[in-house]
Amino acid sequence: MTPTQPPKAARYSMPAAKMELMNPIRIAPLKGTLRKPGLPLEIISTILEYLPIQDLCRFARVSKQLQEMVYDDSRWVHKLKLMGVWNETEARRRFEDAMRRRRAMQAAKAAEEKKALQNGVKTLNAGMAGGPSAPGVSRSSTLFDAGEEENRAQVQREASMRRAELDAKRRTVAGTITDGIDLMHLAPLTPVDIPRPSMADPDSLLKVLPSVKSIRGFAKHEFGRIYAALGPLYFDLAKAKTHTDPVVFRIYRDPEQQAQILAQLKVFAQCDTAHGWMDRLERLNLMIGIFENAALREFEGGYETGDIDGRMKRYAGVLILLNGGQACVQLFVQKHPVMFERGELGNPMDSFELEHFLPLGKPMPGSFSLEPSSLFFTRLSALLNEQADVIDRVFPATVNVMIPFLERVAEDVISEFVTPILDEAHDRDIEQYLKAVAGIYHQLLDFAKTIKKIKGSGVRFPEEMMKIMGRVFEAHVDLYLQDELDFFRKKCETEVDSWEKKILEEDAATESFFMSNINREADKRDFLSTFKKVILMPVSVIPSPFAAKPAAAAAETKSTESSPYANSNTLSVQEIPDTSRPGTPMTPGQATPGPPPTTELAAKAAIMNSRLEGIRSLFSLEVALNLVHSAKSSLERAALFTGAGGQTGEEAREQCEQIFIALLQVLGPRHVKAGFDKAVEHLSKYNPREITEHTQSGVAPLVTFLELVNVGDLIQQMIDVFYEQELVAAKLTDPKDFLNPAAKEKKRFEQMLDERVAAGLNMGIDVLIDEVDHLFAITQQTTDFNPGAIGDTGLRDFDIGPTKTAIQVIEVVSSHTKLLTGSTDKNVLDVFNQEVGIRLFASLCKHIKRQRISVDGAIKLISDLNHYHAYITTLKIKPLVPYFNALRELSQIYLIDPSHAKQMATVIADPNRFGGIFRVEEVYEYATRREDWYRVKKEVERAMYGIGCCIC
Amino acid sequence: MSEIKLLSSDQATITVEKSVAERSILIKNMLEDVGEVTEAIPIPNVNENVLKKVIEWCEHHKGDPPAQADDDSDSRKKSSDIDEWDQKFMQVDQEMLFEIILAANYLDIKPLLDVGCKTVANMIKGKSPEEIRKTFNIQNDFTPEEEEQIRRENEWAEDR
Repeated sequence: MTPTQPPKAARYSMPAAKMELMNPIRIAPLKGTLRKPGLPLEIISTILEYLPIQDLCRFARVSKQLQEMVYDDSRWVHKLKLMGVWNETEARRRFEDAMRRRRAMQAAKAAEEKKALQNGVKTLNAGMAGGPSAPGVSRSSTLFDAGEEENRAQVQREASMRRAELDAKRRTVAGTITDGIDLMHLAPLTPVDIPRPSMADPDSLLKVLPSVKSIRGFAKHEFGRIYAALGPLYFDLAKAKTHTDPVVFRIYRDPEQQAQILAQLKVFAQCDTAHGWMDRLERLNLMIGIFENAALREFEGGYETGDIDGRMKRYAGVLILLNGGQACVQLFVQKHPVMFERGELGNPMDSFELEHFLPLGKPMPGSFSLEPSSLFFTRLSALLNEQADVIDRVFPATVNVMIPFLERVAEDVISEFVTPILDEAHDRDIEQYLKAVAGIYHQLLDFAKTIKKIKGSGVRFPEEMMKIMGRVFEAHVDLYLQDELDFFRKKCETEVDSWEKKILEEDAATESFFMSNINREADKRDFLSTFKKVILMPVSVIPSPFAAKPAAAAAETKSTESSPYANSNTLSVQEIPDTSRPGTPMTPGQATPGPPPTTELAAKAAIMNSRLEGIRSLFSLEVALNLVHSAKSSLERAALFTGAGGQTGEEAREQCEQIFIALLQVLGPRHVKAGFDKAVEHLSKYNPREITEHTQSGVAPLVTFLELVNVGDLIQQMIDVFYEQELVAAKLTDPKDFLNPAAKEKKRFEQMLDERVAAGLNMGIDVLIDEVDHLFAITQQTTDFNPGAIGDTGLRDFDIGPTKTAIQVIEVVSSHTKLLTGSTDKNVLDVFNQEVGIRLFASLCKHIKRQRISVDGAIKLISDLNHYHAYITTLKIKPLVPYFNALRELSQIYLIDPSHAKQMATVIADPNRFGGIFRVEEVYEYATRREDWYRVKKEVERAMYGIGCCIC
Repeated sequence: MSEIKLLSSDQATITVEKSVAERSILIKNMLEDVGEVTEAIPIPNVNENVLKKVIEWCEHHKGDPPAQADDDSDSRKKSSDIDEWDQKFMQVDQEMLFEIILAANYLDIKPLLDVGCKTVANMIKGKSPEEIRKTFNIQNDFTPEEEEQIRRENEWAEDR
């Protein structure tokens, strides 16, 4: 304690006096100190930029002001930054740490602080004692680095305190040793005497750059350390004439050390901005170049003699120390035998030649095999894994050699192998080409997976690998995707065209098939199973990737298929094997020789109306299936490339959507729409009066059309499943993106379908009602409602029940409406049913007005109307019910005995009775259809008008 | 090719090509603000001799690419050595050299200022503090002890 006392007192007294002295000088303008011709401060500052360090430091001795300028921390920070050794975040962190500590310290007691100070002084004294006798780098760094943590914290605290409080003042006085107590702590750290690089301790020089610390206020000190260490070597090197001259090469004999020091000098050169720096830098680069070449030669020698663990490893290390070792990585990659011996790995033409040897002789376009390329990849993979070991042994983990190596291999070996195959395949046959691209690409991916990860390859190795492999195919992908789409489109169109041609021929042979009411279900189910098969069917082109897929796909299909069908009862019922149904389900391929009895009539109608085509001639499920199948194989091939990532992957994805869109376009407008249009046309031509046979319950073209709706619905569901499974599940498209072209196209397809259905239904209603009218006209006997009309009053028919006509009409109508159930949208169906109901009502009204109805016949009429009413209620369409209720009420007026004319009048005049459906005049009109109207007319009219009931 | 007139501090009028004069950012900005001027532009801080010298430099360098708006650190690193013509141009007495630097500073001709500063830096190279003081006419406000202390502090920078 005692020895530190006197200097402390002295130190305390000094700073205040000093500050006072300096202030006026500092504030005074520069011109005061510089007489003419002087230069302003900022110009002198600029001049300082161009001075070599040596002169810069001499400048500090000129005057206090200049000293301040030279010592300015930012100047030195800048130099450190140029070398890239200044870490701003570190500096900030230190500064903030120091600030925090300072606050903590302020809060602490003064005694504590005193103690800490004394501690610091002790350490300082110890340092001082040992310092002057043996000044050395190691010494000073020990002082700085290995000092007690407490001491260091103290120092930092002081530094920050000074920064916050004294700021500029500090610099002014920093150099003066006579400063206050605070400065005394800094004194041993500020370079009072930065030692010369000692030749005896060259090892410490090797680490000078990494040991730099970023402390504000100490930039000059840190720079001084670097300069003292590297400066002499640098200038010596710059002056050297030959590569044997420089001291560097004399101090350091070890190539590793030489590399290290050269790398540091290279960094150091960055801060040399003084006159002539370009020459110096050039010389330095020259020397480094010479050294690098020498090291490379050694490395190469090692490479050639196979001295992996010896020279190769050593000089790789040297070069990495020097400049990251890119040169030797490149050399390693370039010189690699695999680049020159690629012929041994396999001949690309083998893929084709194999088939040429077939005894059949004819070089078939389909003679392409993936075997040779698979062999090629296996060999290459083995070779590369061997090399991975070598790389592991030669290079340290910090250098990523494998990636450049693989890049090179991909470019020189794989591309060279793949390109001729693909070009050749493209020339031969597009389909082969498509298969080759997808197949080889898949092999490539598999191959990439077999490459071992080495320690230097980093965590992102697999991704990098995929990128490299993707690059091999980059050039091919565009062409391929385009071809794929074109090919698919062409295939679809040929398919549809050939089908259309076939249908034309079949048309001539009038061989048609009509899907009956019952076998519609059979067919639908049959179709579903076929479709399942399609989805499950593996694409044969690419054997390995999808080998495991069918099982998974099967499970998927099952789950997906239940969802689209679950919303319609009828369809989900179909899912269950219908064992109870008589007769075996017919396949579409079969004719209808023995239809089940329930459908006999319909089936007969189909056969008899050979003029009308069955849906087979309109559009074909089989065609649709084929299209979907080829779309699937195209998609799966193209989808492989979506894994490539980046732009290629994106393009591939878009192309997949394009394929889907193409499928919809061909299937939609070309195939389905044409079929619907044809069906609607048939419908519109239908005229019930031309058809003599009306025993059946179906209007043939309408049935056909409704079947068509069913099939269309199936196709749509099929597309839906396909979309869900192939595109959405495979992440090829985003179902949530409503602007997505695939989704849009799908919507358009569905819309088109709906539109066609709606148009057809519209037509269908007309046709259906025509048929009903026709039935009324020809089957309704006059005696039905007026048994006494023919004078045969004795034979009263008391058979209560609807007439034959009514039964038939209901049969016709219901058979058609039933057809639609479940195959089209519920709303559409409702609208359709409602329309049918209203039209049926209108027809009925017309029909009744044409009849003459007796009191006896009224019972028949009532039962007829009850029959209609019962049917309508099954439709479960509310708005229809009042109409038929009204009809039922209406029929009452025929039942009233002629003698009760008054009551009749009350009924006629009571609008509430008919729920507003009929007006009084209308009811009156119906009343005139009474067989005995002229007898009761007077009575009724008198009752109505005479009594003055409410007819106004 | 329009010409403009400059009026030096000692009332001498010098006619100069506009493009040459626009090497000076000061004049360039002024012309941009004012537009066409017929009367001589006064350059109050620069006398005729110096102004002529500056214009000579501008004429020689009129083909140079315009001074890029480089930030501070760039100029420090990228500054190349002085070319031969500039070296000859700067072979003037020290008073003139300083005048040129001041004029370049005032007229905002950065490349010329840089050349001037580099020339001064070269001039100072290897000189003792006393010689520097003389060159810049700076008074020594250090005590010999203080100066010795600073010398010791910076010994690391001296050649062996």
